Amino acid sequence: MNRSSVSRISAVLVVVFMVSWWSCRDTIDNPRLHDLEHIPWKPIAYMPPVPQGYPVLEQPSDNIMTIDGIRLGRKLFFDPILSIDSTISCSSCHHPDKAFTDGRSGSIGVAGVTARSSMSLLDIGFHFQGLFWDGRSDILEHQALLPIEDPVEMGESWDRVEEKLKNHPDYPTDFRKAFGISGTAEITRELAGKAIAQFQRTLISGGQSKYDKFVRGEIFLEENEQNGFWMFFDMVDFLPDAECGHCHNAPLFTTTEFHNNGIQYAPVSTSYPDPGLGAITGRISDYGKFKVPTLRNISYTGPYMHDGRFKTLDEVIDHYNSGGQYSPGKNAFIYPLRLTEDQKADLKAFLLTLNDTSFLSNPEFQSPF
Amino acid sequence: MKSIYTVFTLAILFLLAGCKGKSDSTGTLVLTFVPEYDGQPLAIFTTKPYGNDQLQFSHLRMMVADVAALKGASTEVLHDIEEINLTFDNATEAAAGYELRIPNVKVGNYTGLEFGIGVPADLNQKQPADFPSSSPLSKSGNYWVAWSSYIFLRIEGRLDTLGQGDFTLGFVYHTGADELYRVLKAENLQYQIEDGKETKFEIAVDYKKLLGDIDIKENPQNHNPSDIEYIQAITNRLASAIELRY
Repeated sequence: MNRSSVSRISAVLVVVFMVSWWSCRDTIDNPRLHDLEHIPWKPIAYMPPVPQGYPVLEQPSDNIMTIDGIRLGRKLFFDPILSIDSTISCSSCHHPDKAFTDGRSGSIGVAGVTARSSMSLLDIGFHFQGLFWDGRSDILEHQALLPIEDPVEMGESWDRVEEKLKNHPDYPTDFRKAFGISGTAEITRELAGKAIAQFQRTLISGGQSKYDKFVRGEIFLEENEQNGFWMFFDMVDFLPDAECGHCHNAPLFTTTEFHNNGIQYAPVSTSYPDPGLGAITGRISDYGKFKVPTLRNISYTGPYMHDGRFKTLDEVIDHYNSGGQYSPGKNAFIYPLRLTEDQKADLKAFLLTLNDTSFLSNPEFQSPF
Repeated sequence: MKSIYTVFTLAILFLLAGCKGKSDSTGTLVLTFVPEYDGQPLAIFTTKPYGNDQLQFSHLRMMVADVAALKGASTEVLHDIEEINLTFDNATEAAAGYELRIPNVKVGNYTGLEFGIGVPADLNQKQPADFPSSSPLSKSGNYWVAWSSYIFLRIEGRLDTLGQGDFTLGFVYHTGADELYRVLKAENLQYQIEDGKETKFEIAVDYKKLLGDIDIKENPQNHNPSDIEYIQAITNRLASAIELRY
């Protein structure tokens, strides 16, 4: 073999080595790129049961619910790892036994108390017209990300949360099983948000409230409950119209829209103490509007309104019966109803038929820890 | 000779290329719905005279269904259902209106337009749960349980009964139920849909004409089909309150 042949062979070997090094350098530099591939990924799609009369539960095409995705989302939901001091989780403000509210006017976060009360997550997967009291988030996948970086709520940064999840003894495997990622390096806030959204979409009413059974023809309502039902939906001429169904329509008992229900006094359109939706859209017509919450499990979701100002259902009914306070955008359905004490009691009796304890005690919604 | 055949073949090919796809040529029909009050663009929360009182509107919406182009005796339905939101914050937005764009309309000469105000009976017998979230018929806020019907037209606002600028009396007129579905037809129009171009119409809805002489103070809330007098009157005024401009 002459010198030129040796030189050519050496050059080839150098090139081969360089190419091999270049293609493997990521793995050498970052062992987290492929460290999960040995774990089987066998996604099993899951669709939770939906009560009769409910819409179809839709899900985005890039986040189809799977058993492992829901399982991961449930863990993240109840895990305070998402907060800066590991004291606050999503469940800190959304308790299963309170239909995923927390029983407070303002929720306790890492740095104080929030300005608004926590909303129920019951049936949240059926909401397509904006999330939060002020509609600042369009989809669950995005909504789940915001409290983590809120300075009052969880006070954390997603950069740090991603590192915590990557360094956790269990979460890399959970993310692999949920999303088929090849390596720990692929754990991102987007995947965390997707997992939490998958879990939240399973939070569906059990369809076992007295009202649900009545609609299915399984039972009759008591006379006072029936009267309340008729007033709620303005079904009969011989009872007054309580105007409830315009905003709290069946089957979700929310239209998921945003309305001004007259709880805030505002002499002009821009003088609301809390502008609500208007602060997000900038539209004058949206000032003073807040998301209509569900009335399902209403006994467990107080205090009521965006700031929890009403502690009891009686206060709520009295508010609507009074006609509320003046503001330019107050919904035209808010006016003095002039219900008698008996009629108010009947309306309350109907509202109580919307309670469904099967939702509150569903083992699939409880903390996995 | 060879060159003649070549030219002839090329001519045939060009002719076929020109013909191919002509039947597939389409344009876009644009219908712009504009809210007005006595001929002027109508923004919410703006004070308007109403008899001896004054009022402000707060919420204006309607369902438009089965938008169709007429070509002589034939009718081609182009768009099934749309929720037209005419709630605008200022006159500029109101004048710009709500734009309904209908693409892929076949090129040709047309003679009229037709659309329904409300929800046609075959859709009205369904419920929000029967529709995907992308449809306006999926929104439970557009459905009224007591009527077993969708809400066709909403006119909501407040009346100043004392003339002191306190708009305290809310009024709500919702129409619905199959018998109040109306089809409006504009015939004897001559318009073209051209390839790749837009053909525009403006549809003005005059709410002063729509309300007519309703005594709001006497009956400010009328959204019960068993109390049909006022909403029947509004429905009967649709044809005179809606103007097509081309």
